[in-house]
Amino acid sequence: MNIAINTNNISKSYPGVLANSNVSIQIDESSIHAIVGENGAGKSTLMKILYGMTKPDSGSIEIFNEIVTMSSPKDSITLGIGMVHQHFMLAKNLTVLENIILGIDRPSLKNLGLKKYKKAIEEVMSNYSLDIDLNMYVEDLSVGEKQRVEIIKVLFRGAKILILDEPTAVLVPQEVDELFNNLKNLRENGVTIIFISHKLDEVLEIADQISVMRSGQLIDSVRNMNVSKIELAEMMIGKSLPSPPPRSTEKKQNKIIELKNVSSNNVDGRQLFKNISFSLYGSEILGIAGVEGNGQKEVVESIIGIEKLESGEIFFNGEKINDKTTRERLDSGISFIPEDRQLQAMIMDMNLTNNVIIGRQNIKKYKSNFATVKTKNAVKESENIISLFDVKTPGTNTLATALSGGNQQKFVVGRELEDDPSLLIASQPTRGIDIGAQALIWEKLRESRDNGLGVLLISADLEELIGLSDRIVVFYQGSLVTELSSEEVSPEDLGGYMTGLKK
Amino acid sequence: MIKNIYSFILKRYIVITPLLLVLIVAQREEYSQLTTSGTFGSAIRLAIPIMLAGLGGLFSEKTGVVNIGLEGMMIMGTWFGAWGGFTYGAWQGVFIGMLGGALFGLIHAIATVSFQVDHIVSGVAINILAAGVARFLNVISFEDVAYASSTASPRITGEIGKMTVPFLAGGPINDEETFNLFGSIENLDIFLISDFAGFILGFLSNISYLTIFALAIVPFSLIILWHTPIGLQMRSVGEYPTGSESLGVNVYLMKYIGVTISGALSGLAGAYLVVGGTGIYLEGQTGGRGFIGLASMLFGNYKPFGILMGSGLFGFADALQLRSPQAVHGLLIVISIFLFVLVLKTLFEKKYTQSLISLLFSGAFLIWFLNSTTIPNQFVYFTPHITTLIVLSFANQRIKLPEKIGVPYKKGELN
Repeated sequence: MNIAINTNNISKSYPGVLANSNVSIQIDESSIHAIVGENGAGKSTLMKILYGMTKPDSGSIEIFNEIVTMSSPKDSITLGIGMVHQHFMLAKNLTVLENIILGIDRPSLKNLGLKKYKKAIEEVMSNYSLDIDLNMYVEDLSVGEKQRVEIIKVLFRGAKILILDEPTAVLVPQEVDELFNNLKNLRENGVTIIFISHKLDEVLEIADQISVMRSGQLIDSVRNMNVSKIELAEMMIGKSLPSPPPRSTEKKQNKIIELKNVSSNNVDGRQLFKNISFSLYGSEILGIAGVEGNGQKEVVESIIGIEKLESGEIFFNGEKINDKTTRERLDSGISFIPEDRQLQAMIMDMNLTNNVIIGRQNIKKYKSNFATVKTKNAVKESENIISLFDVKTPGTNTLATALSGGNQQKFVVGRELEDDPSLLIASQPTRGIDIGAQALIWEKLRESRDNGLGVLLISADLEELIGLSDRIVVFYQGSLVTELSSEEVSPEDLGGYMTGLKK
Repeated sequence: MIKNIYSFILKRYIVITPLLLVLIVAQREEYSQLTTSGTFGSAIRLAIPIMLAGLGGLFSEKTGVVNIGLEGMMIMGTWFGAWGGFTYGAWQGVFIGMLGGALFGLIHAIATVSFQVDHIVSGVAINILAAGVARFLNVISFEDVAYASSTASPRITGEIGKMTVPFLAGGPINDEETFNLFGSIENLDIFLISDFAGFILGFLSNISYLTIFALAIVPFSLIILWHTPIGLQMRSVGEYPTGSESLGVNVYLMKYIGVTISGALSGLAGAYLVVGGTGIYLEGQTGGRGFIGLASMLFGNYKPFGILMGSGLFGFADALQLRSPQAVHGLLIVISIFLFVLVLKTLFEKKYTQSLISLLFSGAFLIWFLNSTTIPNQFVYFTPHITTLIVLSFANQRIKLPEKIGVPYKKGELN
């Protein structure tokens, strides 16, 4: 069998992160090759390199046995590589046909030749057994159909290698089946497919070969028939897990927050989570583990009142808070570090002083008698955060956008902790930041815990989760499947529960 | 076939119902001016500047740039048209007017595309700037010229020329009169047929070459935007610039082209007011037609022939108030019945609140109609605007805005 793609020791680093380290991967022609790994394992970076969107720092790429260099997606298209992004690159108010032929001709005043193109595209479609109505507007298509348009689009441009970035994340089960049928057809017709996913069931169903990535490295490439789900999970998560440092203080007996059988659906009626019950005590960090998209984010959002509950009760310090607004919940002592600091935690075009006040404009410290804000106190507070949390910034007047990611995050963590909350919800508190900032945030979280704070920690970084938490609960498909003690947790257990293998 | 006609009528009832009503009302002696060829003729002349501005808006907004600077670009068209017309002659004036508008279109493009200035801010700036620049240019250019003042230019030289189609509309061949087919049909006074003949005659009789040129731009726009590669690329950057860029489309260039064409068409609209109308530049001559052009673009749902229809409606109402205030009175009953049709339609769709509101207005217009024989002059001047407003607000259609309209695009930024 011919080799479609062969990479030799590809490395790529971003400031503070080694995204790919010496990745050497062989992908056979006319096969479906899955690349699996946790979020942040380096899958996306590898794909961007293969599609020409970023250049590797070192290493070489061979396409059909020829060494190539790509500087933009245009180059990769000429080499026969096409990518189907997770977010479709389609114009809603144009027809399917127009979307497919966009950009093929130079911008001239000659006739567009819709009929000619339509015939040619229909030929490609029948070759690969893909079907779609070319005259429909993209707006009127279902998600699965839009994806098919993207696939036809790259095939029509002569792609022989297809990269699919988490293609099933947006599909409903029937559409997944249809996609898999289409992909098998494509494989029969000589197309090479690279399938990025973190859903092991799907990968085992469709792939011929599976490569596992973890923290920037290629752990192994295996044939599908030679591997079990548990082995894959182990490779994804790693064998050695860190053991948490022993703690000097004891957890307290008071329940900070208690969830009793809470459930919620989204607007389409799809279940987000169901019958979740757990309690968090004072001086304790409770970790929430789960592959992204299994309901953990929505559960914590329901605690602060962003997500509405279908049923169940939430108690905060013994008081039922179901009917309280988010404002009241935050004012009563809940702090929240959202997972996206640039979208949710800060306003990037405001300075640090103002970023301290947002959401706290009602508390006494900042509210004067004349309905104005006491800026002086806010300046003092941000100076305090800057020195305590070692935020590197010229001053409190700097815009949030001018800070590096790590410093933004330190400032956010500082703001939430300096409020003297009794509950801190920390969602991905150290995602995408440098090691120094990470260590400082961990240290501060432990310190606050020892002082009596209850922390709910959601993290995709298992090292962080196990290293910080006292207990860990695992979410799978909207349910809480188990509770583990972080001192005794084994990677097999954690991986098994997270991927739904163990129940 | 019948099914097609049926669905066409259902889809276009907003246009068809009032049209039919007008035809019926026009059978009454005192409202006969509603459908004469004279009324249609002036309706076309009054509609053209609005239509051109609307097409200008189309080219800009399809590439994702909001253009409320149409009015300002039109002002530049009036002044440059007058200056060119005075200095070089009528046709030269038209093209210099287009260039003047295109220049301001280019300024809008530089501001919004290259410097990512907010589109509304830049548009407002263009409108203010254009008014000032026009007066400034007028003062320095025509300082010592007779019949010119600070707010008016001298008369343009030369003429565009008009034509009347022979045989169909009685146009002359070698100075000899020919048969006037549609004219004689109009004079027969047969219901519908004569009115229709009057409508056609409005296009064929005594029509300026400049009007023909302007009308030709409608199908031309349709062909460019929907049937050429460059048109497809222009439309795509208004929808999803990031995706277009990844397919090798030069997003910035497309936006520049769209906005500059937009300026040129608005300039043509202004030049038409001067060269095809007054013959001189007057300050404030555009009178908000750029904004009404935008309204006609929305009415036409971003389609060239829709824009033609929207501006035609305004031109028609405008022509009526100029020619026959009496006929405007007839419009009251047209509006009343039209609203009643809407009442039935919304009742059928179980939208009771809307239905009730329409019923109230329908009743109000009916009472007004029955208790008066004329409309006060003050209201007559207002007719075109109120008609446009009523149709726009009740034309409860799904407007297909370009997806990323008004969103600044930065190269290489994913969104």
